[in-house]
Amino acid sequence: MSNAPGTGEAVLFWILGPLAVLGSLGLIFAKKAVHAALGMALTMIILGIFYIAQDAHFLGVIQVFVYTGAVMMLFLFVLMLVGVDSSDGLLETLKGQRLATAVLVLGLGGLLTAALGSVTYPEPAGVKSINEETGNVSAMAELIFGRYVWVFEVTSALLITAALGAMVLAHRERLGKGRNQRDWSKRRVLRGEYVAGLPAPGVYARHNAVDTPALLPDGTPTPLSVSRVLTARDQVTTPERYVEAEDRIAGQIEEDSSR
Amino acid sequence: MSNPYVPLFILLALGFGFAALSVGTSLVVGPKRYNRAKAEAYECGIQPSPRAEGGGRVPIKYFLTAMLFIIFDIESIFLFPFAVAFDQLGLFALVEMVLFIITVFVAYAYVWKRGGLEWD
Amino acid sequence: MSALLTVAHGIPALLAEGKDNPSADFSDTPLWITVIKALFIFVYLLVSTLIVIWFERRVIGRMQQRPGPNRNGPFGLLQSLADGMKSMLKEDVRPKAADALVFTIAPLITATMCFIAFAIMPMGGEVNLFGHRTPLQLTDTPVAVLLVLAIAGVGIYGIVLAGWSSGSTYPLLGGLRASAQMISYEIAMGLSLVAVFLYSGSMSTSQIIGAQKNLWFIVPAFFSFFVYVITMTGETNRLPFDLAEGEGEIVGGYFTEYSGMRFAMFFLGEYINMFTVAALATTMFLGGPLAPPGIAAINDGMFNEGWWGLLWFTIKLWLFMFMFVWLRGSLPRVRYDQFMKFGWKFLIPATLVWVVLVAFFRGAQNGWLGEGGVNFFGRTFPVASLALVGVVAVGALIVGWWWDSRAAAKEAAAADAPQSSIDPFAGGHPVPPLPGQTLAEPTRTAAAIRSEAVTDKEAIRG
Repeated sequence: MSNAPGTGEAVLFWILGPLAVLGSLGLIFAKKAVHAALGMALTMIILGIFYIAQDAHFLGVIQVFVYTGAVMMLFLFVLMLVGVDSSDGLLETLKGQRLATAVLVLGLGGLLTAALGSVTYPEPAGVKSINEETGNVSAMAELIFGRYVWVFEVTSALLITAALGAMVLAHRERLGKGRNQRDWSKRRVLRGEYVAGLPAPGVYARHNAVDTPALLPDGTPTPLSVSRVLTARDQVTTPERYVEAEDRIAGQIEEDSSR
Repeated sequence: MSNPYVPLFILLALGFGFAALSVGTSLVVGPKRYNRAKAEAYECGIQPSPRAEGGGRVPIKYFLTAMLFIIFDIESIFLFPFAVAFDQLGLFALVEMVLFIITVFVAYAYVWKRGGLEWD
Repeated sequence: MSALLTVAHGIPALLAEGKDNPSADFSDTPLWITVIKALFIFVYLLVSTLIVIWFERRVIGRMQQRPGPNRNGPFGLLQSLADGMKSMLKEDVRPKAADALVFTIAPLITATMCFIAFAIMPMGGEVNLFGHRTPLQLTDTPVAVLLVLAIAGVGIYGIVLAGWSSGSTYPLLGGLRASAQMISYEIAMGLSLVAVFLYSGSMSTSQIIGAQKNLWFIVPAFFSFFVYVITMTGETNRLPFDLAEGEGEIVGGYFTEYSGMRFAMFFLGEYINMFTVAALATTMFLGGPLAPPGIAAINDGMFNEGWWGLLWFTIKLWLFMFMFVWLRGSLPRVRYDQFMKFGWKFLIPATLVWVVLVAFFRGAQNGWLGEGGVNFFGRTFPVASLALVGVVAVGALIVGWWWDSRAAAKEAAAADAPQSSIDPFAGGHPVPPLPGQTLAEPTRTAAAIRSEAVTDKEAIRG
């Protein structure tokens, strides 16, 4: 069985390969953390396509399936941990960090080159023929649930650890039970205040916005109708302008109808 | 037909061509009337609220949901080949799988019990 | 449960060689025919989208006792086309704070990805196309169904990125909601399909259709169908799960800042995604292009062959479309915590249990849990299956009894136990409750105590 790629595969590789490299470079050099995550997603998807091109159907699809989800999580972690518009600060916080990094990277590079250079490949079993005979997914299943049972079962322990870690890091137990919608509504009725809810913000003939208070029957604005967040931010406007405009319109209409 | 994935690329190209063409055309054909208010973020008519330093963050409790998603994602990935090859694998694989599911379920039950699935 | 058993035996045992490769034969399909078929799918989807938008507005109109669009063309059929043209001529506004690159590619991702998944849907039997015998299916792979899930996973990026890149609050919330929705319901969706794979022994769509020749999988995998239909509504952001674009809460959600053709791309993506998930449901549970039982038996399966499949496929697809519209016409949007609770506390564990149950039934059918069968109405049931049904029934009874008694005990406890609750901040320092004491949520914050007269607004608003 020949290992030489076909022309189609070669073309695919030479188009997508550089794109994958670009994506991974983007992961390292992008200023905005979200762009970096996107670069990673691109690289992972292209890797998946490469696997598929080499007849590893299941592996390729799983690569895309898992990594799109996982990178999405990364994306969320960026939003959670760093902030929505976060970008890299170029300030060095750890002393001598860059030098240490350079040394370590060179060391790792040397190690990998030495290790990979001395690898001898056994005769490949030939994914194509396995796909024909047993089927790609079935063959994979036979390996997972046959030869690698132990690894498979240990994976579950890993998953438990992940869940525990997430609980420890992110879970904050509530002291008591918070009020839910039902409780609030019960309380409202029991107190007999604003049973039907608070008044909505002002809707005027020429204006409609949440920062404008509504008017009470006697014509005074009611601060209850505006969100307290806006009040705290000092963003509440007065309705006088709109009331005047309304009066003007009402006057015109009256004039027109009496004419 | 040699490779079953080639048609996917054809559809991808068609879809992308259509999307790019229609968006591009509308950029050329559509009007452009600059207005400062138009370029502001939309917030129901009020002055756009000032953005927090660094853009503001999302609550960390979301992390737990995200992590659980990854855990179950991996579990379901093991279930797919298991289901496909079920008849060939035999009883032993079924027992293995039940053990695996129970183990992951322990984590799930723990998170539930501790209130990690409450969303408030 | 016994109905399940009866039908489970209608499914033919799978090919013993363990082949999960596609059964559709593409050997006589040159590339140019593939291109023609791809174009056909593309046009089919675009036309279906134009029609379904009109259909939705008309049907909802009827449900709400108003006519709906009826001006452009016969019955207003050209309304969606006119709307598309109009959005082409609209100004394309980009907010000042937006991330230019991502803001541009997000709608393109959505609009591109939605087309691809349809390639693996079997839309009919084998037909003669320009002198070549070819199945009415663009392509098929051993992992076809997973491919749909993977592509959907890429497609969701369009929505999340649109939300993030707009540089505005409501879209960001919409994008986050969309991602939470995706991660909560995608798992249940994947798990619900596992039961189908157990019966079909393959993830290739042509094999799955082949395995449904005698019995559609909606019968043996009825619970999976139920879960799938719920999750597909959640995954496509349709009412009652359209939290990512809930207009009463966050304006338009992720596409608030989009206008013109870019907005239209999201619109297109949403509707084509509806077709994709509905087509997958058709393929997995309703026999895809197979004729309905009864009609299938006429004239030696004549209606299962060739172009007829396209008819049945389209009919089944539109049944789902009607269901989508019906749901939208009759259900209100769920609350966010209810949505998450339903996904994580019911759908996922229930589907997992269901998958294990199906696996055991399948094992019993294969004779792994002991030989021996009982004859009923001319069919043989393995003893093991019957025993399983018994175990499940007893288990359900026990759980039900436990549940009831626990609820009763809780009620009794609530009725007579004197509530001794402590205010944790009574002494100025937070104090944990002693055993037997319950904690009273501090009602008065420092600010509230300071300004006693000011009404606590959140309390009133609810």
